Amino acid sequence: MTPVAGTPLDTFRAELERLRHDAAEALAAATNAAAVEAARVEFAGARSGRLKAAQKLLGAVPAADKPAAGRDFNDTKASVAALLETAQERFARVEDQADDAIDVTLPGEAVTLGRFHPITQTIRQIQEIMGQLGFECVDGPEVEDQWHNFEALAISPEHPARDPLDNFYLAVARGADPLLLRSQTSTVQIRVMESRDPPLRIVSLGRVYRPDTADATHYPMFHQVEGLFVEPGTNMAHLKSVLRLFASRFLGGDVHVRFRPSFFPFTEPSVEVDMEWGGRWVEMGGAGMVDPAVLAAVGYDQDAVTGFAFGLGVERIAARRYGVEDIRDFYRNDVRFLRQF
Amino acid sequence: MIISSSWLADYVQVPASRDELVERLAMSGLNHEATTTVGDDAAIELEVTSNRPDCLGHIGVAREAAVLFERPLAVPDPRPLEGPEDAARRVAVLIESPEICPYYSARVIRGVRIGPSPTWLVDRLRTVGVASVNNVVDVTNYVMLESGQPLHAFDLANLRGSRIVVRRAIAGEPFTAINHRVYALDDRMGVIADAERPVALAGVMGGAESEISTATVDVLIESAQFAPLPVRAAARGLALASGSSYRFERGPDPAMVDWASRRAAALILELAGGVLDRGTVVAGELACRPAEIALDPRRVSDVLGADVSPQRQRKILVALGFQPADERGLRWRGPSWRRDCTREIDLVEEIVRIEGYERVREDVAVAARPVALSAREIAVRRTGEVLVGRGFCEAMTRSVVDDRLASMESPWGGAPPLVISPPLIRGADRLRRSLLPSLLEARADNAAVGNTDADLFEIARAYLPRSAGAAIDPGSLEEPRLASFVGGGGFNRAKGLADAVIARLGVGTTATVMYRPLTLEGFAFGRAAEIVLVTAGVESGRVGIVGEIAAATLERFSLVGPLAAAELRLDRLDFAVGRQPRLARPAEFPAIERDINLVVAERITWGELDRAIRAAAGDLLETCRVGDVWRDANRLGPGRKSLVVSLTLRSRAGTLTGDEAGRIVDAVVAECGRRCDATLRR
Repeated sequence: MTPVAGTPLDTFRAELERLRHDAAEALAAATNAAAVEAARVEFAGARSGRLKAAQKLLGAVPAADKPAAGRDFNDTKASVAALLETAQERFARVEDQADDAIDVTLPGEAVTLGRFHPITQTIRQIQEIMGQLGFECVDGPEVEDQWHNFEALAISPEHPARDPLDNFYLAVARGADPLLLRSQTSTVQIRVMESRDPPLRIVSLGRVYRPDTADATHYPMFHQVEGLFVEPGTNMAHLKSVLRLFASRFLGGDVHVRFRPSFFPFTEPSVEVDMEWGGRWVEMGGAGMVDPAVLAAVGYDQDAVTGFAFGLGVERIAARRYGVEDIRDFYRNDVRFLRQF
Repeated sequence: MIISSSWLADYVQVPASRDELVERLAMSGLNHEATTTVGDDAAIELEVTSNRPDCLGHIGVAREAAVLFERPLAVPDPRPLEGPEDAARRVAVLIESPEICPYYSARVIRGVRIGPSPTWLVDRLRTVGVASVNNVVDVTNYVMLESGQPLHAFDLANLRGSRIVVRRAIAGEPFTAINHRVYALDDRMGVIADAERPVALAGVMGGAESEISTATVDVLIESAQFAPLPVRAAARGLALASGSSYRFERGPDPAMVDWASRRAAALILELAGGVLDRGTVVAGELACRPAEIALDPRRVSDVLGADVSPQRQRKILVALGFQPADERGLRWRGPSWRRDCTREIDLVEEIVRIEGYERVREDVAVAARPVALSAREIAVRRTGEVLVGRGFCEAMTRSVVDDRLASMESPWGGAPPLVISPPLIRGADRLRRSLLPSLLEARADNAAVGNTDADLFEIARAYLPRSAGAAIDPGSLEEPRLASFVGGGGFNRAKGLADAVIARLGVGTTATVMYRPLTLEGFAFGRAAEIVLVTAGVESGRVGIVGEIAAATLERFSLVGPLAAAELRLDRLDFAVGRQPRLARPAEFPAIERDINLVVAERITWGELDRAIRAAAGDLLETCRVGDVWRDANRLGPGRKSLVVSLTLRSRAGTLTGDEAGRIVDAVVAECGRRCDATLRR
């Protein structure tokens, strides 16, 4: 601030203004109570504070100007006192509460959350999408008879799928009918069709069992999701469209579906279903139109209704989705694995 | 099936690259596995579905290619020159078991020179992964790989009695196969025998004693039909699968039986010399006249969801070898090699797979239909959510367990576990009756790798036979869905979790949950309970169990306690999940809290006191909680304990007065005194 040459009043007022300015700056810069106290001594000290010094300058002001100068002095004194008080309060508050301050970088109270098994998560997501497409989840027994596991599914006694070495047969039978652990969840579809009339949209899901030596891509117990759609006028375009909707939702984006001819006893025509995943065709499961023999086995009118069915192997999908290279890991139940999902 | 690229070209000229060929084959039903270069040739590995035995030979695959690329198929017509002598004078054929072998044919070539095969034959066999043996054996393999019809060549000199007898094996009968190992046969299998002993396992493998050797001079060529099941029984039962058994399990083209025999005879004459005896010695009947199949051309569009003109349909069927049985193309007869095609839908599939599935639209609308989750599914999800929220990870353990796990007492009682064959994995052949042993094992597996805090749950079925013995009645096998968990901590933690699950299932809206002491193998004595529900005074069966794992069990599984577990029958606890909650408006008037300190005998349970308090306090009792329980023989007397009980009393009609509260407390104390001999400690 440039000193102003002029009347003694002007000089006095300039000094007051400088003092107020310096006090405000010093207090604003203060980072603790000691700095505030030092500022108080400097500006408002009873003996040698700058206010005291300024008051002495009042004597040099002509008498006519004294009342105005006095008013200005009192205003400046009050202003400095107010600044001091605010600053003191600021640090008093911090220091009062210093004992309650914490290290906010310390970890929070641990909440251990468990996880749903990745197979369950995959099944639930499939269920959810199929639910939006009108498919209802159904469930049935795992110990099955010949009728539901084979005969009603048009799997003839000569078919290799019925070989004792390819199934887990029970040591006990139901009368003359051998029992086995179901080798597919289509058994449930038969049970539902036996008890309900079309139209029908269901997904059966659960554990199935086939004797396979456990390795990175096989396990003798695994999960299947199988869909069944029976309504008048159903054709393969309905099948492809439903699978495309499913694939687009499950994999994200606008996914295309490709059919390759295949063979399953319970569907005809039968196809392998490929979906575009990561820029290439990936085999996702089998599908087809429900074989007329299956419709006949459950007492449906083959001329009135047609249907389609499809099956997905859950482990294979989950393994690919989560980057699991050995499907046996799904059944090791190591929490270091489970907690990652 | 491995196809040699150059071999295939003998029958069809494909006007496209090999990549395009395999792509077209894949898109019409022969999935491409891999192609590898072998010398100047390429081995194309195709996956052939079990309904297409015709494609287990080069000619069948060539036929598919010919149809796809609309090129002619050239199949040779072998006419081997016959000598003057009658084959029937050399050998007799008898089929004793037509259910094993419906048809058998034999040709005889005498005076052959056994030696190495020419290079072209060795190379082709090598391309498809077959080692060369000698000229005669190589020819039989070659013709099988060409036609799909398995053949076998016997050294006629070693067929005793000059007889071929096709019969069922006798149980325990020994047989030495060409691999020089001895097998004990059973009566599900078929054999080719001479006058004295088996010389071949029917449809599977020849015998060592009649095999072609350098000393062989006269050869009998077998070309026959064998039924699938006996062949499979032998191939699987003796682990002797062969190219022959693989084909007979699927059913080769009956029209190829004689063709293959002629083809082999012609090639042997060419490569090994000798004289072919006149005629074929046959037994049985060759059934190969296919039935007529009706086809409504509209069915094709109905299935495909796209139009295929009747002309196009006709063209495809004719190219595939089907013959129209009427002028309009409404009735067809299938070719001998497609015995899988017997119905209209089979013809439809043939047409659409050649037409191509890329014609199927993928954008048709499907009408919306709302669905709801089943009660079972809701119960499963809510249970999981409670446990996951409390730190439990969901495990998936095997439904089939070993004897060690199966032998633990099941909370659900019943007969011994059901046994399966073969075992799921080594040693595991019993269907579990509880999930808890599996979860204990999973916890131990975790501990073994340093995860000492593995709290695990699983929701899965158990298998509860109600009766023992060789036969079970319908309905006597229960498969309840169980929710089980094993976690660190004592009884109270597990019980609290069980309570939370049961509460989340909404059971409390209609039933009261009751815990009763339970003694069960695996659980610490006096530290386990069964859970039952009481509805309108009627008790349910057991719906769950909860308890602390016994020290001996911990030791057995190499586990460290304290560890507690519970198992709940979700099938008996899911009845209320569909119930909509009904709001109970929070009370407007203030509550009064009263603590009372009751002293009772040690044997009195909290459950008994709780019932007495509720009975006495009536509707004005909002909550009743037990606090400290303490024992002090000097101040309370021996065998007595003190419980601090906090009562919250509230009326919905108005503010309770101190006097009213006091009267309720007096009534509570009196009732506890009456029912439980409780005294008030002041």
